[in-house]
Amino acid sequence: MSIAVLLILAVVAFLAGLGGSYLGVGGGVFLIPFMTLALGVQIKVAIATSLIGVIATSSGAASVYVRDHLTNLRLAMFLEVATTLGAITGALVALSVPGEDLYVVFGIVVLYAAVTMLRVRETARQRAYQAGDESPLTKYLNLSSVYFDQEDQGVYRYRVGRPLAGFGISAAAGVFSGLLGVGGGFIKVPAMNVLMRVPMKAAVATSNFMIGVTAAASAFIYYSQGLVDPGLAAMVIIGVFTGTNLGTRLLSHAKASNVRFVFSIFLAALGTAMIARLFFPGVLP
Amino acid sequence: MMVARSGFRIVQERIAALRRAVVLEVEDLNRLIYHILRAGVVLSVAILLFGFVLVGLTGHPLPDRSIPPRALVKQLFTFAPEGYLSLGVLILIFTPVARVFLSLISWIRERDRIYVLLSEIVLANLISSLFVLA
Repeated sequence: MSIAVLLILAVVAFLAGLGGSYLGVGGGVFLIPFMTLALGVQIKVAIATSLIGVIATSSGAASVYVRDHLTNLRLAMFLEVATTLGAITGALVALSVPGEDLYVVFGIVVLYAAVTMLRVRETARQRAYQAGDESPLTKYLNLSSVYFDQEDQGVYRYRVGRPLAGFGISAAAGVFSGLLGVGGGFIKVPAMNVLMRVPMKAAVATSNFMIGVTAAASAFIYYSQGLVDPGLAAMVIIGVFTGTNLGTRLLSHAKASNVRFVFSIFLAALGTAMIARLFFPGVLP
Repeated sequence: MMVARSGFRIVQERIAALRRAVVLEVEDLNRLIYHILRAGVVLSVAILLFGFVLVGLTGHPLPDRSIPPRALVKQLFTFAPEGYLSLGVLILIFTPVARVFLSLISWIRERDRIYVLLSEIVLANLISSLFVLA
């Protein structure tokens, strides 16, 4: 890999980090198509590199949400039991299947992520405390929590519903993370928000917090197989780190809906290209 | 004499206030996790930048495979750029592990048995992933 290519990758990682922290979709869904389609990186190396980028996003940007008490640490630890097991499984599967299959699965997942990105913002009414029975497991694990919303200066108390269903979906998200090198926020965030009734901001913060540990579990496996290219990984870390730092600062005063739409179309195009590559061999790298 | 004594008292009060602030900062698990994650990334980026400076100075070709940790120590002593790039990447991967370990200690101190168990399982998963194919 020449220095020029590495610098381009750093710029793209910067944009992925910027877009990722700004839109709540991690960098992986942008980085892997770019590395494989534009730079011609082997897909398993791209996945390993992307996992490193996911950890950088989680530790660099999501840690701010922890400081601001948006993250539900108990819920995160409970679900991480599932995501780490899933991630190990996913990584072992990825290493044993041909790269072509990963292209197709990745294409489908990216298309799905494009759709979930279009989700609407929630209102204060939806954030508000919803009375109802707390399941025994939620009570036993003490999962319910409060968070402070900077946008409307309100404190929101919430109960966590359906902990077992959330546990199962987190395991699936972990498998996708280890298999494809993505954070899996587009699976976990809707699951936490709709199924478990965690307010959107707390769900995003908790999901971003969890992806670091999840990605670390599979990153060790990819590393032990020699699939982590130090030059590529280093550029991605530096790019993502600077991008997320800027992104979290922009987030506080900006309207995301238009940008969100553009990125969603862009993602859909990337997903289609990943799938199309299989049917038209030779046209795309 | 009076001036010196009141000056000394002001300094003492400042130190006490600073110590209270530090204790408050450390006591809060959220703050502690924030600092450890931040420190991990910043350290990793600093080492990676140093690695790239070495690449520029020595003109070594970049490796395209991850370097096994056993070979790493020797490369660090000989200032091989690929050694520092790999070290930076490894520090980043280990940062979330350190975070889980920190949570475990905090929950042990709070005697929260179920969360001690849960964080031990997560830690066991991470350690097993280190050795599963090694």
